[in-house]
Amino acid sequence: MTQALVVAAFATAYVLIATERIHRVAAALSGAAAMVLLGVVDAHVAFFSERTGVDWNVIFLLLGMMVIVGVLRRTGVFEYLAIITAKRARGRPFVIMASLMVLTAVASALLDNVTTVLLVAPVTLLVCEQIGAPPAPYLIAEAMAANIGGTATLVGDPPNIIIGSRSGLTFNDFVLNLAPIVVVLLAITIGLCRWMFRHHLAGDRTDIDALMALDEREAITDPRLLAKSLVVLVAVMAAFVSHSVLDVEPSMVALLGAGALVAISRLEPSEYLGEVEWPTLVFFMGLFVMVGALVETGVIASLAKIATDALGQRYFLASSVIIVASGALSGIVDNIPYVATMAPLVQDLVHAGHGAPGAEAAWWSLALGADLGGNATAVGASANVVVLGIAARNDHHISFWTFTKYGLVVATVTIAVAWAYVGLRYFAA
Amino acid sequence: MHAGELAEPFPVVGLATDVLTAARTMGDRRLPGVIVCEEDGRPHTILPGSQVVRFMIPAYVQDDPTLARVYDESASEKLMTKLSKRTVRDLLPEPQDRDELPVVDQDATILEVAAVMARMRSPLVAVVEGGRVIGAVTVSRLFEALFPQQPDAS
Repeated sequence: MTQALVVAAFATAYVLIATERIHRVAAALSGAAAMVLLGVVDAHVAFFSERTGVDWNVIFLLLGMMVIVGVLRRTGVFEYLAIITAKRARGRPFVIMASLMVLTAVASALLDNVTTVLLVAPVTLLVCEQIGAPPAPYLIAEAMAANIGGTATLVGDPPNIIIGSRSGLTFNDFVLNLAPIVVVLLAITIGLCRWMFRHHLAGDRTDIDALMALDEREAITDPRLLAKSLVVLVAVMAAFVSHSVLDVEPSMVALLGAGALVAISRLEPSEYLGEVEWPTLVFFMGLFVMVGALVETGVIASLAKIATDALGQRYFLASSVIIVASGALSGIVDNIPYVATMAPLVQDLVHAGHGAPGAEAAWWSLALGADLGGNATAVGASANVVVLGIAARNDHHISFWTFTKYGLVVATVTIAVAWAYVGLRYFAA
Repeated sequence: MHAGELAEPFPVVGLATDVLTAARTMGDRRLPGVIVCEEDGRPHTILPGSQVVRFMIPAYVQDDPTLARVYDESASEKLMTKLSKRTVRDLLPEPQDRDELPVVDQDATILEVAAVMARMRSPLVAVVEGGRVIGAVTVSRLFEALFPQQPDAS
């Protein structure tokens, strides 16, 4: 009976999150409250259980990275890089688009996707105004590049952070398994954008005088803070790469990096904490309590058993189902609650494999499907929604269907290529 | 004191006036805004200078003020071109958003004028007599009337 009530409460909260009938934070907290009222969750289960409680590694990794980004964006380095990238392209529309996509993808691999597009989109509008190009294709391409680039690392996209924490996979595991295919997918997406936006990218060279007149050095507001921030960022990345050797969790690395940056930047708390997305962190906490209740009542274990019985040792089939289903669902619903729900299920599946070759591929399939599926529709990923909002505020309306008709092409092609990659890399032998 | 006594002659522009002309009118006379009138002389609304500035500066620069630093001097010429291509009508909100106008009758009291300014967040209020604009009360004129300079006690 309790199990049925927990599933009903979870489903109700999930529908509210997906449909955005109420704010997603309110929906997640209501779902968590329902679990407490049903007697499934108590303080120990919610706050101190590694299996069923709030995943503090995820919360503090996000918090640390948000503080680091909050300081870094004050330096103007992103604006500098975007302008110099466009100037190097010397007014060639496709080269500008491709360069900005690469810049966005690389930045998204290191930072979160939404921050990246928030920083790159205004500069893109500036560049497009200077060269007299319609900005919509560039903005759509950048949102897609952000979602693809974020797939490459453990810290690039929130679903990856959840997967990293649940699976115990390291930063290097993510880079070694996902970064190679992300490079290929980015190249393919650039090619697809060349084709999809061919009418907007016609012509070889625009009037570049206005573009070349922009002074990118003026974008750097505080060179000393920039130098300090870059040193800390490089140190944080080095620590991420070696965290398994150092035996320090990525969350600790991010918090230490944030602390160091706060200490040496001498900024006021309101300045570096102003960029922290507290609603997102609270949303995650509510979500973890909701999913923890499913684990606590054995719902996840039952589903995992059904899946394991159905799939047996056919891990390629399991990975195929996960990557396709994740891709399809992530285009419709927020991939964060989806991955938060799926992670314990995949964890049980992988454990049931007892280290069998190919079992671990389920994690990579989940990451690839959930991250790349976000490109499918205008609401599939937060970065898409943010880009559409920025475009609308600047009188460049991009409709849901305009984005989606391009997004579906990119999502379908990239997920198909990613599926082939999973098959060839983990199951071809 | 009534609005009619407080009102000062004030420039008006039409809905078809280009934004550059409206901006120059404000600039030349150091005004916080201008009155926008219909063709028959009835007040349509107030165009505050801040609205012109918001139109002038692209939203992406308002989102990321760092970008304002990277423009060179020729950017002001582009802004002029941008303003000259658009009319005052283009800058005004849709009719349903401006049902109430920052307008008072000439016999309104000084506190009525202040109340309209506060409610409408307008730096000036048009004063009408028989539906026609006879002038306007600016916020500085309002303060001057409300808080006159005290003669030096010494």
